[in-house]
Amino acid sequence: MLGAAATALVLVVVFYYPVATVFVDAVFVDGRPTVEPLVSVLTSRFYLVDIFGFTAYQALLSTVASVALGLPGAWILSRFEFRGRETLRSLTILPFVMPSIMVAIGFVATFGRNGTLNGVLGALGLPPVELLFTLEAIVIAHAFYNAPLVARVTTAAWESVDASAIETARSLGASPTWAFRDVVLPQLLPAVAVGATLTFVFTFASFPIVLALGGFQLATVEVFIYSRIQNLAYAEAAALAVVETAISLGLTYWYLRYEGSKRGSGQGARPQPRKSLWPGSWSAKATATRLAIAGYGLVVLAVFVGPIASMVLTSLTGPQGGLTLDHYLFLLERQQTGASYQVRPLPAIANSLRFGVGTLLVAVPMGVVMAVLTTRNFRGRAAIDALAMAPFAVSGIVVGLGLLRGLVFGAEAFGTRIQVTGAIAVVAAHAVGAYPFVTRNVAPLLGNLDPRLVESARSLGATRVRALVDIELPLVAAGVVAGAAFAFAISIGEFDSTVVLAEGSTSYTMPVAVERYLGRRLGPATAMGCVLLAVTSLSFVIIERFGGRYGGRGGF
Amino acid sequence: MKRRTFLRTVGAGGVAGVAGCVGGGGGDDGSTAEPTTGGDGDSTDGTATGTAGPGTPELVVSTYGAFVDAPSTSPGPWLKETFESEFDATITFATPDSEINYYIERALQGADIDADVYVGLNVDMLIRIDERLDDGLFTAVDDVSGRGDVKDGLNFDPEGRIVPYDTSYISLVYNETFDGGDFVAPETFDGLLESDYAGDLLAQNPAGSSTGKSFLLHTIDAKGPDGYLDYWEELQANDVRVLSDWSTSYTAYENEEAPMVVSYSTDQVYASQSGEDLAKHQIRFLNDQGYAYPEGMSIFEGTDEPELARDFFEFMLRPDVQGEIAQRNVAFPATTTAELPEEFAEYAQAPPEAVTFTYDELRDNVSEWTQAWERQFASK
Repeated sequence: MLGAAATALVLVVVFYYPVATVFVDAVFVDGRPTVEPLVSVLTSRFYLVDIFGFTAYQALLSTVASVALGLPGAWILSRFEFRGRETLRSLTILPFVMPSIMVAIGFVATFGRNGTLNGVLGALGLPPVELLFTLEAIVIAHAFYNAPLVARVTTAAWESVDASAIETARSLGASPTWAFRDVVLPQLLPAVAVGATLTFVFTFASFPIVLALGGFQLATVEVFIYSRIQNLAYAEAAALAVVETAISLGLTYWYLRYEGSKRGSGQGARPQPRKSLWPGSWSAKATATRLAIAGYGLVVLAVFVGPIASMVLTSLTGPQGGLTLDHYLFLLERQQTGASYQVRPLPAIANSLRFGVGTLLVAVPMGVVMAVLTTRNFRGRAAIDALAMAPFAVSGIVVGLGLLRGLVFGAEAFGTRIQVTGAIAVVAAHAVGAYPFVTRNVAPLLGNLDPRLVESARSLGATRVRALVDIELPLVAAGVVAGAAFAFAISIGEFDSTVVLAEGSTSYTMPVAVERYLGRRLGPATAMGCVLLAVTSLSFVIIERFGGRYGGRGGF
Repeated sequence: MKRRTFLRTVGAGGVAGVAGCVGGGGGDDGSTAEPTTGGDGDSTDGTATGTAGPGTPELVVSTYGAFVDAPSTSPGPWLKETFESEFDATITFATPDSEINYYIERALQGADIDADVYVGLNVDMLIRIDERLDDGLFTAVDDVSGRGDVKDGLNFDPEGRIVPYDTSYISLVYNETFDGGDFVAPETFDGLLESDYAGDLLAQNPAGSSTGKSFLLHTIDAKGPDGYLDYWEELQANDVRVLSDWSTSYTAYENEEAPMVVSYSTDQVYASQSGEDLAKHQIRFLNDQGYAYPEGMSIFEGTDEPELARDFFEFMLRPDVQGEIAQRNVAFPATTTAELPEEFAEYAQAPPEAVTFTYDELRDNVSEWTQAWERQFASK
């Protein structure tokens, strides 16, 4: 109960109150209630058809692409054994920390007219492709961000399919295909639905990627909200944001109801054995499978490794194209001689790690509390659930502005101005963005636990909290660890609320440093991007290895 | 009824300098010198520097991030050091992420403003301030010596609150090495519509970037308020690409996605410093014009250091300091008396004719022009 109250308090202070300060502009103008801003958006052909229509269309395509790209990955990660499989799985979280401006640069370098892809195509004697500034570019970049999420969620579900259920089906005469359809597929679908819904919601609110890779011909609703906010036209911005949020929340609500209806009963714990990637005998079927995997590997190289490799290469390239370490020397020099009001690399790394750990400590308990609440049965649960998931659904720009107006400037209360800024506010804001991931990791596992376990503990005299800590949590530890990894990733990659809430030179993070170093020369920014990449990859591998001792598998 | 004013770079013979610029409303479009940041803004917020001992007055200078923290050169550190060595005062920089909007918001919410001066104001910001705040944000700055040296056409505030300290001209930058070394940018706006140039131009979103807005205004100047939308329709049909901000589009330009980009006429200054091939940094003034984009500074209404603020402004306008700002911010100086080295004049190009709109014209029209453009152009 205490946990729930604390969670609610954090949410109100750093999420609901700030966001409300923005939304109120949609329904109050000059202090009077009005429906005018909302009506003007809802009756505008331009907004409804051009903007919302296009936004939904690109989100749908992005979702299809992310699922198509993510599912084969899940299949390989869950059904095959090979060296580096665990590490590869840990790294599927990396796109979450890549600043979008960096991704845009990597994509330009990879898919551009003179990019790596056209270089490879040219070497093979194939005609070049022009991808940049098209809808295709946006969809591929969205897949870069979201396919790993789909793969991760689905891998977890696939690994928790009980092998004995499949064996039973087979012993009853089902072919492998039928066993897959009847036993495995029903357990995968909810996970795929999670991935698809999250992808749709994320890409619906897409902003920097759309602008950087598509151009203004392909503008989304978020682009317009930002434009209105920059011009301080809050009523219109808020009205757009209200409509956008209603759609996202509606989807979240719909999905949660679906998830609730699919929640299974207890599962066994014996996973299917994984096959070796290098088959013992090269039968026709084994060969075809391996060829498919190799083909998928090429696509993965192009979409995931290409942009990241391009970034690394840019960080090592001088103005004339030769290899150089100048950009890294710039980082060293800035570290040694930078003025106190300039951004230096080491404090940025330290702050990022500090906030990351802080976020972990706040978001994991919050997420677990929400997961426990949402696995109970009570009236209106899906609505509460959707509200608790709202941080997914509210535009990042709106949250940033709300934090600025609601917290940084403070509110008058009892004659004094109450403000929240600094490291604690940053951690709280990161935690609000991160905890839904913890909840989504833990809730399904918690829901699948056999309720008799808790009942037995309670009948033996354990309190509800004790039953949770001693019985339930150890059984869902994998989900908790995976959620923690997400919380850490969200915190490391977070940008908008960090710059709004950070106070002075003591609280800038690695992504902020990347942005600061961006300029006519890409070098310094890409060098800092590589530092970000190195520090975070290492952190995730450590978190997951460390977590592996307790959970081993499962989770998202 | 030409709704425009011509700015002529009067006599300023020695132009030089470089383009500078300002972080546009959202913080991105940054300076040429080292553009700043990306799309939704970046920079951080203020930071305290210096140790103001007891009795040493402190001047809080708010500005955009790249002015103090660009990875190549930025004038901030030099200004602070030099000013502090000459005056018994400390400069503290503040660089709020949302730039001037941060202070407009604070004023609206009744929160204190703890900065004394703002450096990096443009006419858009001024219009926004005047529209949103009845009382304004800045005081009139009259008795500053050196103000008379500011080139006439650069004063964009009819009420005299803002003192210009540098200026840029928006132009096309093009890459001669395209098309096997034969690429030449068109000389007029109409030339851009020729099918030879299909897909060849990268521009920026006028609603979020100062270069983008300047280019839009230049087309309005050239085609008239009744004709610019038709012109843009044809530009769009010719596959112009409008990206979010200067940084993004310049990155794409450097990756040779297209042979032309909307940028600054001081582009070669930076290119020559960093040893790049100048054939890839050619300047074109369409219709022999460049859109002028001055940057200014002003004093916050509630400052407790009005005298020190004036000292600072006089310092900023001094010939030697104007020369340093121009070089370090890659922009032309604002005064006719700036001292600049010869090689700057070689690379910094000023247009034969500079155009710009007045404050009054923009206040009455700019939102409408920009929104009409957005509605015609977006998601089509």
